[in-house]
Amino acid sequence: MTSGEPLLQVRDLVQEFTVRDRGGVKGGTVHAVSGVCFDVWPGETLGIVGETGSGKSTLARSIVQAPRPKSGAVLFRGADLVALRGSALLRARRHVQMVFQDPFGSLDPKWRVRDIVAEPLIAYRAGDRAARRRRVDQVLDLVGLDPSSHGGRHPRELSGGQAQRVAIARAVALSPALVICDEPVSSLDVLIQAQVLALFERLRAELGLSYLFIAHDLALVKQVSDRVAVMYLGKLCEVGPGEAVYRQPLHPYTRALLDSIPSPDPAAARAATIIGGEPPSPIHPPSGCRFRTRCPRAAERCAAEEPALRELAAGHSVACHFPLGETQR
Amino acid sequence: MSAPLPDLLAPGGQAAPSRARLYQARARGGLARQLRLWLPAGFLLLLLFACFVWPNIYPVPNPVRGSVLQAGLPPLSPGHIFGTDPVGNDVFSRILYGGQISFEVGLGVNAIGLLIGGLLGVAAGYWGGAADTIISRVLDVLIAFPALVLALAIAEGLGPSELHVIMALSVFSIPAFGRIARGATLALREQTFMLAARLSGTRGWRVIVRHVVPNIVPQLMTFSLLGIGVAIILEGALSFLGLGIPLPEASWGSMIAQGQQTLSASPDLVLIPSAFLFATVLSLNLVGDALRERWGVR
Amino acid sequence: MTDSLLEVEDLKVTFPVRGRELRAVGGVSYSVCAGQTLAIVGESGSGKTVSARAVMGLLPASAVVTGSARFQGAQLIGLTDDRLRQYRGADIAMVFQDPTRSLNPTMRIGSQIAEAVRAHRRVTKAQAREQVTELLRLVRMPVPERRYVEYPHQLSGGMRQRVMIAIALACRPKLLIADEATTALDVTTQAQIMELLLELQAELGMALMLISHDLGLAASYADEVIVMYAGRIVEQAPASRLFTRVRMPYTQALFEAIPRLERPAHAPLPVIGGRPPDLAALPAGCSFAPRCRSAADDCLAAEPPLAEHEPGHRWACWHPCGAGDGDAA
Repeated sequence: MTSGEPLLQVRDLVQEFTVRDRGGVKGGTVHAVSGVCFDVWPGETLGIVGETGSGKSTLARSIVQAPRPKSGAVLFRGADLVALRGSALLRARRHVQMVFQDPFGSLDPKWRVRDIVAEPLIAYRAGDRAARRRRVDQVLDLVGLDPSSHGGRHPRELSGGQAQRVAIARAVALSPALVICDEPVSSLDVLIQAQVLALFERLRAELGLSYLFIAHDLALVKQVSDRVAVMYLGKLCEVGPGEAVYRQPLHPYTRALLDSIPSPDPAAARAATIIGGEPPSPIHPPSGCRFRTRCPRAAERCAAEEPALRELAAGHSVACHFPLGETQR
Repeated sequence: MSAPLPDLLAPGGQAAPSRARLYQARARGGLARQLRLWLPAGFLLLLLFACFVWPNIYPVPNPVRGSVLQAGLPPLSPGHIFGTDPVGNDVFSRILYGGQISFEVGLGVNAIGLLIGGLLGVAAGYWGGAADTIISRVLDVLIAFPALVLALAIAEGLGPSELHVIMALSVFSIPAFGRIARGATLALREQTFMLAARLSGTRGWRVIVRHVVPNIVPQLMTFSLLGIGVAIILEGALSFLGLGIPLPEASWGSMIAQGQQTLSASPDLVLIPSAFLFATVLSLNLVGDALRERWGVR
Repeated sequence: MTDSLLEVEDLKVTFPVRGRELRAVGGVSYSVCAGQTLAIVGESGSGKTVSARAVMGLLPASAVVTGSARFQGAQLIGLTDDRLRQYRGADIAMVFQDPTRSLNPTMRIGSQIAEAVRAHRRVTKAQAREQVTELLRLVRMPVPERRYVEYPHQLSGGMRQRVMIAIALACRPKLLIADEATTALDVTTQAQIMELLLELQAELGMALMLISHDLGLAASYADEVIVMYAGRIVEQAPASRLFTRVRMPYTQALFEAIPRLERPAHAPLPVIGGRPPDLAALPAGCSFAPRCRSAADDCLAAEPPLAEHEPGHRWACWHPCGAGDGDAA
């Protein structure tokens, strides 16, 4: 699975933006992403799971420099995207593409499918018109759409699943190395969701893609990922192989997430305690460990000192002063 | 984390109505809708034809060189459907030539506003920052001028003529379009497909031309239709005040002003140009509304 | 099990759209008893929301509704809006998906709940305020007195949904319909809200109708589950039974498509191709036949009737799945 250098190295990524006072809600600086570090290796799928306010979507956009993060480094094949500008950034970014949550929102309603998929080819001047047309047909076929009947349509003439396929086709048109998927199936019905996930897996195998797969559903993320990272209020809580995170969660928040997922198996009892409270505002994150306000294991140290991400088992790291012991599910 | 989107495409490929349209289902057929657009649009086309094409293919009496011997004829007199004015000019042909002026001013003012104002607005909305601040302030200054007063000043200073009227009215059609374009561009900038276009590698100016412009055109088009009506009325007002198209040239506004003097004796001299003015502006508004309905512009 | 509160019989809803007729609901019958939790599960276009709104009289005027929906014997279909208002809020209440759009952004929370209270009861302002505080306490809202004067945008999504529930409970309804009430919430918040709903149900002796696209949620929290597809009920069974003895291939496909924590990463999923049918041009036989793995000729010829083939378990299928485990984990 992995060899040599990581494909993507994110180091101490920080993204903040200011919101103004509005109504009775005070404004301030939103600490959306506060010092996130992780790697994505060639050929692997790293899943990032987080709820509202975790900063996962902001993280995705910061990686592609839209907008540029406040500080930190994003090394793609060794080149720091944060430091690049203009055409250098454009060239480096060619191999990192993105698929968004709202399939219709990410497609220009006035454009036809064929033109949408061809846009990256035109921007990067990949081949002449005939070559581009061939590539568009090839890629539409790859995602399960018929170039002759779907190519001339507008997004409003497509279903949700089809629109998302067009977005995926556009993303893989230039044969990128890394595709960042920001909640790509959350807007789709369950059966269509399964179709699109199967497409992701197939493309991964056929094109040798690496994915950064972001979603709020831990079960979904675990199903498609090799490694899973759990995010809370701008920080990573736990990173590790999917099975390890599921069977031996080290962070109390991961445990809470696992307990909250309703299982269709009636034999699986619902967890006795579910986590209470609400996520704090990212404008005023709690001092020290950000999860301490809802954590059943919080102690004085948690308020005073912010836990760093440390490796407790093979490839399995956690940022907690009092991680969970060996817990069998 | 929104509810799943409907996946209602039939295997045959015909798009089924989306969930949103399901809840706005309309029972009535297309006839009323079609009439709402084509009735006023047809009238406008007819009027345009009458004003611009008709006089070139069928001789109409000269609008400015009428004979005094024919003065003051009532409507439906032989040879003069709408009668003649106190100087002897045929009212019908003055209506036609006056209509030419009205449409030229209306279209001219809005074309200038659309091109210049639209361009400035898009630039301000897309690039933001310093460009936005400068352009917005300039537009604010322009829009702060009381329109009619400015037009009066220009007319006084440069002398009344059709060109000067267009110049004067453009001073506030430019910022009007500028604001609309800027607002539309700002709203568009937040859309995900704009980010997707940039990530696809498309460069700034190309994003504007290929993505921003096609999406704001419906809004600008419907706005300009209303704007034509406004410009026509303002031209009428200026001419009425004697600061627009100078006599003896025909203009609906100056015809109304002239007709004032003989209001009790021949009210038709005021009523006829007023009716045309009213009908034209009403039709423009109706067409604007119908297009807005069709294109889903808010 | 006491007498049924709500009895729906052969409910049909059609919409005329651009000259075609859309069959949103095609003859649906079910009943809800006091204290029972019934879940109606289906994807978009299944008719689950339309049928609930038909019962409440919340469909646009162009909708054609036939059939019967009796609430404690009284027929609801065909009533004027005035008469229905006597039931709405008082006996039957509904909580919707997006609390942001259901709450008036310019009114304080307390006023909105008080409005609901005063809609059905004659109380003084002071009494209303008391009842509002009591309701906020009932929905476990932290610091209810402070919430009274706050505006919706000052609250988080979970808290707004609690306010919606408080409004719905203002007059102690006998039946609460939750239409995708937790779909827009984080999974941890969803778990809290679901627990709250079950607690309230026990406290107030309410019947609860859950409408959702999430089969896992339904199986986890409901007593009885109804599965709808293309406007018809295709399977109905107690939750525990549905999982272990699923019969209808569509339900089985739903179970298989739900992401499961137990599945290993990249496990190949059985995927159902195609899309839900066009509701204005439904096929002659079973609506699911074009996509069904077990479809045979008779499936395309005639629509299978919904019948109670086993005690307590209804399904509509000519070739149901075999006995035994319906779960493909």
